[in-house]
Amino acid sequence: MEMLKAIAIGLPLTVLVTILALMIGTVVALPIVAGLRSRNRLIWLMSRGLVDLLRGIPPVVWLFMLYYGISIGAVRLSALQAGVLGLGVVAAAYLAEIFRGAISAVPKGQWEASSALGFHRATVWTRIVGPQTARAAIPAYTTFAIGLLKDSSIASTIGVSEIVFMSSQYARQSGSGILVFFVAAGIYILLSVPLGLLSRHLDVKMRKAVAR
Amino acid sequence: MEQLMIELNPQTTQPVVQVKNLAKAYGSNVVLRDVSLSVAEGSVTAMIGPSGAGKSTVLRCMNLLEQPDSGEIVINGHCINAGKKTSPKSLAALRRSAGMVFQHFNLFPHMTVLRNVSLPQERVLGCSREQANEKSMELLKRMGLADKADQYPSRCSGGQQQRIAIARALALGPRVMLFDEPTSALDPEVGVEVLEVMKELASTGMTMVVVTHEMAFAENVADELVVMADGGIIEKGHPGQILKDPQHERTRRFLRAVLER
Amino acid sequence: MNNLVDVAIEYGPTLLGGLKVSLTLTILSLALGLPIGLLFSFGVTAKNKAFRYISVFFVEVGRGAPALVLLQLMYYGLPNANLTLSSMASACLALTWTTAAYSAELIRGGMQSVPSGEIEGSHALGMSYRDCLRFVVIPQGLRIALPSLMGFAVLLFQATSLAYSVAVPELMSQAYSIGSSTFQYLPVFIVAGLLYAAISIPATWLSVGAERLLSRHL
Repeated sequence: MEMLKAIAIGLPLTVLVTILALMIGTVVALPIVAGLRSRNRLIWLMSRGLVDLLRGIPPVVWLFMLYYGISIGAVRLSALQAGVLGLGVVAAAYLAEIFRGAISAVPKGQWEASSALGFHRATVWTRIVGPQTARAAIPAYTTFAIGLLKDSSIASTIGVSEIVFMSSQYARQSGSGILVFFVAAGIYILLSVPLGLLSRHLDVKMRKAVAR
Repeated sequence: MEQLMIELNPQTTQPVVQVKNLAKAYGSNVVLRDVSLSVAEGSVTAMIGPSGAGKSTVLRCMNLLEQPDSGEIVINGHCINAGKKTSPKSLAALRRSAGMVFQHFNLFPHMTVLRNVSLPQERVLGCSREQANEKSMELLKRMGLADKADQYPSRCSGGQQQRIAIARALALGPRVMLFDEPTSALDPEVGVEVLEVMKELASTGMTMVVVTHEMAFAENVADELVVMADGGIIEKGHPGQILKDPQHERTRRFLRAVLER
Repeated sequence: MNNLVDVAIEYGPTLLGGLKVSLTLTILSLALGLPIGLLFSFGVTAKNKAFRYISVFFVEVGRGAPALVLLQLMYYGLPNANLTLSSMASACLALTWTTAAYSAELIRGGMQSVPSGEIEGSHALGMSYRDCLRFVVIPQGLRIALPSLMGFAVLLFQATSLAYSVAVPELMSQAYSIGSSTFQYLPVFIVAGLLYAAISIPATWLSVGAERLLSRHL
């Protein structure tokens, strides 16, 4: 269908925005988690404040701030850059909370056994606690990724030509009303299916690996 | 595997509970093989045996919390046949005749103790709130728990919660009380409170079927002992006799493990 | 920084007016969406095929589609079906759909978490299926689902910021129009952002507190 083709043009950018934002979020989340677990009062306070602020302000506001509000001289962020950066930084806050929860899900006994065995801090993280954290985080991480896929639509508000941008453009030009939006919704739903399947597959695989 | 059918010397007329040829399997796992037993009015029947023997399953089939694959259950004249469909009316009547007490109490945590005991009376028996509360307070007083009436179950100890659960079941005026390991989730000291209540209940002439690991209770309070293993009844009879002189090797093995820990 | 304070003082009232609209939209969508969500939480596993298919459709689309798509569907799409609603009504309809869809799953999860022992207890007492639902499953289920529903309410409040795209005069659209007329984009959005945060952050703490309170009693 013509409609499908027109909307599908937005697909690459939807996927790109989602993946880039997810990557940025994952990387930036790591120091934030460290801050949240810090015993230093000031560092903890700043990390907590940062997470609360990033999660307390709607993504659209962050995107608008970055796109319309930031200019160094005459240089401004492109719509794509602002979109990815904004969504990535907000993702970092949510992922930091997810990782924090996953770390505390690792039984205390693992830490105790590791230090009794004399492992270095680094080894404990990379070999013992890290992998178990990753396993614990998978369900929430993939659920979040699916949510981020939908939030990528917010980038349309600053002009990124992803699915929602293309579908509203098509709607305006062709006046075919309701169907366009259902098709767009359908594409998002279809895109989230492989992610859901991947999540279940990974979960099963990792459960088998630790089956007693 | 022996299959025993008890020929009861009826103390009154009909036995209160009759189980005929009950069978149940979960897929390839056979849980009950052709179990039959009768419970006389006013008697206390204790069911013992190793885990997985099917004791709880028999009990839970009696009020159809579990659906047997074949066989018949008659409680207080209400008959349920596994092969035929049960009308909601006869199911409700059967459940009203049999009160059940669970291992984990199963009280409703979001209601006060009084409401826990009164609500079923209002909804199942159609009593008014005043009538229900009156009966509830009477029962709670009997248990020594009248002061807990307006508290929430989470504030009561395990033993208290179980006694409240017993009051809740008694409030509906059942003909028989079914106990599914009532003290297994309790500390030994606390379990004694509950066993006292059960003893008192027995002395008032209530018909009781108790699945338990409490050998002292089985020996001293029960009139009838049923030993189950591997989905079937292997011995049935007077508790003192069986415990002193078990006929079956399996029973001997089980009693050895339990009594000589 | 001066800019920020000036902007806050000069445009504060306008922005607060927008905030009021955002909150109104949030509350309306919750009030309408939660009861429908309760209905759908039963609908998705109902025996009646029609009820089930309709429920599954509404829940899957409501959860699977971005809020922006639903908003645009209601505002730009419905007129094609000869149903033209005001911007507020379209936004409310769209967000009600989102609320109903998400809350259906959250409530269903809550009801499934009710300990099975309690349900068995009520069956053993001879309580009817309906009574069991009414007195045991639904009250407990809602209680269990409450923290996540509160968390969702915060997300819904943030989602109202997208309603600017369908001409609802809420906080975001006020901020944008001030920004585009004064070119003081950054200060205005910062103030708007802080207003959103001023509601979201305490509300989130409340829901965390509710979760802690609940896990103590159950």
